Amino acid sequence: MTDHYDVAIVGGGPAGQAAALTLDDLKLKTVVIDEQPQAGGQILRQPPQSFRIPGWMEDRTYAPLVELLRRFEARTSIHWIGSHSVIGLRREPDGLFALTICSPDGLRSITAARVLIAAGCQDLAVPLPGWTLPGVYSAGGMQALLKAQRIVPGEQIVLAGTHPLQLLIAAQLVEAGGGVAAVLFSQPHGTMLKAGIRNSLRAFDRLSTAFPAVRALATLRKHGVKVLYNAPIQAICGTDRVAAVQHSGGEIACDAVGLCYGFVSQSSLPRMMSAKMRRAGPAGGWATLCDEWMQSSIQGLYVAGETTGVAGANAALASGNIAGFGIGAELGAISRDEAARRVARHRANRRSLLRFARLLDEIADPRPFFPALRDDTLVCRCEDVAFAQIGPVLDGRSANAVKLVTRCGMGLCQGRNCEPTLLRLLDNPNDPGFTARFPARPVPISDLAT
Amino acid sequence: MMRLDHGIERGRRIQIILDGERVDVFEGETLAAAMIEQSSAFRRDSNGMARGMFCNMGTCGECTVTLLPGGQRVRACLVPAQVGMDVTRD
Amino acid sequence: MGGGLIGCATAWRLAREGAKVTVLDSGDFGMGASGQNAGSLHFQLERRFLENGDALAEQATRTAALNRLAISDWSSLEADLATNLHITMNGGLMVAETAEECALLELKIARENAEGLRTRMIDGHEARQIAPYLSEAICAAGYSPDEGHADARLVTHAIAIAADKTGALLRPRCRVQSIRRVCREYVVRTAAEQFAASQILIACGAWTAHVAAMLNLHVPLFPVGLLMNATERVAQVVPHLVQHVGRRLSMKQTHSGNLLIGGGWPSRMALDAEGRFTLYRPPAVIEASLRGNLRVAIDVAPMVATINLVRSWTGITAISADQLPIVGEIPAMPGCWVAGGGSAFTLGPTFARLIAQSMSGTKCEELEIVAPSRFAHLNSFMGQ
Repeated sequence: MTDHYDVAIVGGGPAGQAAALTLDDLKLKTVVIDEQPQAGGQILRQPPQSFRIPGWMEDRTYAPLVELLRRFEARTSIHWIGSHSVIGLRREPDGLFALTICSPDGLRSITAARVLIAAGCQDLAVPLPGWTLPGVYSAGGMQALLKAQRIVPGEQIVLAGTHPLQLLIAAQLVEAGGGVAAVLFSQPHGTMLKAGIRNSLRAFDRLSTAFPAVRALATLRKHGVKVLYNAPIQAICGTDRVAAVQHSGGEIACDAVGLCYGFVSQSSLPRMMSAKMRRAGPAGGWATLCDEWMQSSIQGLYVAGETTGVAGANAALASGNIAGFGIGAELGAISRDEAARRVARHRANRRSLLRFARLLDEIADPRPFFPALRDDTLVCRCEDVAFAQIGPVLDGRSANAVKLVTRCGMGLCQGRNCEPTLLRLLDNPNDPGFTARFPARPVPISDLAT
Repeated sequence: MMRLDHGIERGRRIQIILDGERVDVFEGETLAAAMIEQSSAFRRDSNGMARGMFCNMGTCGECTVTLLPGGQRVRACLVPAQVGMDVTRD
Repeated sequence: MGGGLIGCATAWRLAREGAKVTVLDSGDFGMGASGQNAGSLHFQLERRFLENGDALAEQATRTAALNRLAISDWSSLEADLATNLHITMNGGLMVAETAEECALLELKIARENAEGLRTRMIDGHEARQIAPYLSEAICAAGYSPDEGHADARLVTHAIAIAADKTGALLRPRCRVQSIRRVCREYVVRTAAEQFAASQILIACGAWTAHVAAMLNLHVPLFPVGLLMNATERVAQVVPHLVQHVGRRLSMKQTHSGNLLIGGGWPSRMALDAEGRFTLYRPPAVIEASLRGNLRVAIDVAPMVATINLVRSWTGITAISADQLPIVGEIPAMPGCWVAGGGSAFTLGPTFARLIAQSMSGTKCEELEIVAPSRFAHLNSFMGQ
């Protein structure tokens, strides 16, 4: 059984929601597919429906996103497919896109005339000694535990890295009653300030976006949480679980660590389609190239939000609107001129948000601060491939060739965690990275067999 | 590990089987959340080192567990706990 | 030319004998079919030779002598290289599910035994005793005690290291731009270098025909896009090579625990702007191939059903006009050797050893069955 839609949107975050609402306004039959049961994306990762959390995400930072989410959820004409992973995307001979989607209940196929990939981003995985110990999480993962599950995964938590988001996460943890031992920035305070001042003009119109970090700092001060700068984390210690972190200035006892070095796009699906990509920076990863209507190099395949380069939820929202009108115009649901008029303010908004995102990129630039790898530090978590195995084959060969001889990138995550590290070690700007392969997520053999 | 208890009403308490033992969890919370409440260590890697969840968003696969009796391998961070589930980390 | 298994192994053999050898590849070594194949060491007559009539089966059977040599070459390879290539030769089963397939197996085994291969027919019960993971539906199997698998990821890499240590000059990422025959020498140019050689070997897999074209020669090798699948790692349960006599399947479990499932299911070759096959983009997965391949795997070994697929990958190999490999010196062009065209992982080390021996002046009768001379007519108006 194959369901057909005018537009299939991969990802129910702000970009996907905004695009879906636009397309639905234009009377196009639209489906949104997401791995989470409910819409929201990672930014508004929703608690289970069986939970009641008064005041959930009430902070004014999230207000426009919450408003969008409520409108999206109220719109019953948009078809929502939650709890499903898109594992395959291809173009059929008749020009339609075919998406293979799976859940623990099995596999389905859907076809669509146009596809929008708004699959969001993931934390940049940064290997360092001890980072595979239980209790070490990506900072985003830790925040999602709090947002959606109301679980704080430790009593003495350390957040460490280069991205200012860790201030917000730490503040959210302590406000919820969790214990944060310290927030460690690798970079000196002055570097962050300087980047901020140097860019204050171009970021002027977005300074309000920086306010949450300032408020978070106040919250942390109130709760007596240490925020250290120029304190790059060097190793995480423990035997069967996290016991302490070592940074350049000493050791801090802790029972959980959140690593926060920035974010990289989820790029499996556009790469599976051979869309043109660019190296995103400075955190790494791949951004899908697109035109002014958010269409990728593949005709009919659109991209929005972090898929086009990590720039935050508000920029994602704007790009979702643009993509919605772009697809609507291509499908004849609105004239190109009218679409251009309607997206003008979203484009202007997005431009200024992208300027702010570049400022944030500069402040959070992890490149000078990647921790030194020890021989036994695992670079590939899935296949347990240590740095010592990779070092000897960093002789000019490609990422795919290193993958072949070391197994780095061959595991369950398909290289999503280790690829940025490997490309950094290879230091070849022309390396296209790992070949994206089906399936984008693991899927039981029985679901695929005829 | 702590489930926050103020400002939240969770779903009903249910039991699932985790590595052969009955454990109390809340309906609808993810298996990964329920497992973290027991221990942050989910498995041993090929070097015998303890390993836990990492990304909590379905991307890394570190939290993959087996559902019994069918033997399906699922990412625990994406699957809500339901009455009668039998989960093993092996 | 061609830094795959055959190219590297030939260089290693020749360099050990004191020859001055250079290996060129346009990309990294071992990244073509040598590294993309699933590592089967199969010594039973291949299913593809059985489905196209008696004449082909008869001809293919005559390659059995090469299989016998390959068994011995693989048995000694790890010791020769002093490295672990995860070679296991725990036996292989070519299973049958129907009476028709059983009959085909019997014919196949009779042919093999006549050629001195020690395969034998076993019934379903015995097959399940040897391989308890097999389905009840398996009614018989051809059993070869020598079959198994090696880690295709490592083999070419290890042989290249050995060749390097033995003094061969390795040039990865050096595309051959031209080959000229000057007097009795060949001059091979890359962007940065020029090499003069008394003999050359073109072992470029699916690219072989392109490279031979630089000498105005036809080599009837055609690119074929195949599909392979890898599961997540699971506890060791399949120590054998498992094939099917009537359906396309090859299955094995790697040292790391992944099940590799393939068996000759097609993928769709990419086309270039002119609508010709291109070797420069990976072939696309054909959904029916994927589904069919995994169905056979479940039918043969039901326990694979719940295991997760983590990667389907496509690779390009080459098949010759008559399905048999093409290995040897090109009659129209003395000193120009070619090797490719199927089964070249299993037979690769053997081809390499025999080519090295022949290049050094000792004729090898074993290569006659696969000699390029059978296609000499294609080059009647070519060469020079």
